[in-house]
Amino acid sequence: MRNSRRLNLRLRPVVMSLANILVTLFLVTPLVFTFLAAIQTEKSLVEDYTRLLPSEVTTQNLEVLLFGRADILKDTGFYHLPKIVFQFMHSFRNSLIIAFTTTLLNLVIGSMAAYAIARLPARWTKGFMYANLASRMVPLMVLMIPLFVIMRHLKLLNTLTGIIVALTGFLLPYTIWILYSFFISLPAELEDAARVDGCSRFGTFLRIILPLSAPGIAAAGAIVFILSWNEFFIPFVISSKPDAMPVPVLIASLISDWHVYYTLASAAVLLGVLPSVVLALLLQRYVVRGLTAGALKG
Amino acid sequence: MAGGELRAGPLALLMVLPALVFLLAIIAYPVLYALWLSLHEVTLGGLAKGQTPFVGLQNYAKLLRDATFWRAMLNSAQFVSLSVALEVTLGLTIALIINDRSARFFAGVNKTLMLLPWAVPPIANGLMWFYIYNPSFGYLNVILYDLGIINKFMQFAGNFRLAMICVVVAFVWRVTPFSVLLLHAALQGIPEDLYDAAKVDGCSAWNRFRFVTLPLIRPTLTIILVLRTAFAFMVFEEIFAITSGGPGDTTWVASWYTYQHAFSYLEIGVGAAAAYIMTLVVALVTTIYILVIYRRVEYA
Repeated sequence: MRNSRRLNLRLRPVVMSLANILVTLFLVTPLVFTFLAAIQTEKSLVEDYTRLLPSEVTTQNLEVLLFGRADILKDTGFYHLPKIVFQFMHSFRNSLIIAFTTTLLNLVIGSMAAYAIARLPARWTKGFMYANLASRMVPLMVLMIPLFVIMRHLKLLNTLTGIIVALTGFLLPYTIWILYSFFISLPAELEDAARVDGCSRFGTFLRIILPLSAPGIAAAGAIVFILSWNEFFIPFVISSKPDAMPVPVLIASLISDWHVYYTLASAAVLLGVLPSVVLALLLQRYVVRGLTAGALKG
Repeated sequence: MAGGELRAGPLALLMVLPALVFLLAIIAYPVLYALWLSLHEVTLGGLAKGQTPFVGLQNYAKLLRDATFWRAMLNSAQFVSLSVALEVTLGLTIALIINDRSARFFAGVNKTLMLLPWAVPPIANGLMWFYIYNPSFGYLNVILYDLGIINKFMQFAGNFRLAMICVVVAFVWRVTPFSVLLLHAALQGIPEDLYDAAKVDGCSAWNRFRFVTLPLIRPTLTIILVLRTAFAFMVFEEIFAITSGGPGDTTWVASWYTYQHAFSYLEIGVGAAAAYIMTLVVALVTTIYILVIYRRVEYA
């Protein structure tokens, strides 16, 4: 009994360390593969296909995407590239505009709604919360057919505005839900004190609630930014022209193109993944809190 | 108080108004419009000319007669059950591993990296795995070949028997961190003295898990099961990128069926009807979700 216990004490850290290393491998392996594919020449990927590590390392794939350098392609065995490849930085810019604007709209509109529900209860509050929760679960597939028709009618097809409006409406229920759970957790005494000091209700919202909810705003903001950066189906349906194409749609168009080189497509994936992944890792604490709060009742 | 200030009621309405406009325009109106479309014969040309004859429930009847539709629903059922089962077991295993305090350094690394798969855009995830499964130079083949498990490169996503499991694995990789986060938070909420008391009573590790951990994380497990069932049913990007429904119809799931009818065959009415059936399934699951979270179990 005693011996087995001592053994357990010594073995447990070893076993748990190994288990944790397996978890790390699980988390990073697909991204490592993509990285390995992105930093080699097409020739080395296709010809030395049984090798895990690249035989010829290059930054050319990244350079083609980042700087639109067509001139370096000749000596790499590339002979034809779809034009869309040179559109990458433009799409990257589109994605940034979409993600920033959608996040801003969601935070402004969502925080006002969430505050009203959390702090100014009325007879319709509960009904609104149920409707909000139900809206969050509506399948995108059912919205897309009508949204396509509506956007066509409003002449918003192939525009960033169309994408932003649709994304904002689609993500608002989630934003409201997350912010609501942060607002409701603040002590009411602070607001009461401000009110006694002559602050208006809207003033308490601006000067007391919002500053105190900075972690909640960071959480909702990071999550909405990542979700709008990542969204594929809404822009895919609303915008088919390269001009108003965000990165996910560009990446998808590489799949169906027979002329595309795998190393180059992997480089596009790598660069497209970067903003969301970096933001998620930087604001990890807030994102985790937001995701947890967003799944449970506030 | 400030003079002329709005009363709480009107102010609340005013503050909710912008959100309400968006929800009505982008969610409520399209949902009703889709219902209207599903009851009419709609083509793109007909829509432009205003020629959309009312056909009653014919679009729905057409679906129910279509063997591919049933195949898609069955495939969805298979996809949902496989992926949710994997997400929950894998999620719980990982949550228990990173919650253990005997390897704090490695657990800390994993807690930092946990959001990595979650943050990957679904379509990028699809493309990543599409290349991993590639039959001529994909890394899955490379690894299996270098380890001597296979002696020549093989089909994965193009294989009738493996295609479904391929998309499930890709999807599960991306979404498992979500379950891990929720379960890890639930595990941390369990008071340490409960375990100490169980140890004093001579409980084995397995019994501590069964009689202390499991009952206390059951509410979270239920939420994950319900929520993830709804989202797995809506899977689209991984299917689009990895198999496009193939080979044959082995990975035609509900959303792929809807997408094909609405946006490739341009049978907008039929597509809307299929989307509506999807919505009804999700609505059923959501009702369960709402009932679960509003009756959160408390343990005194």
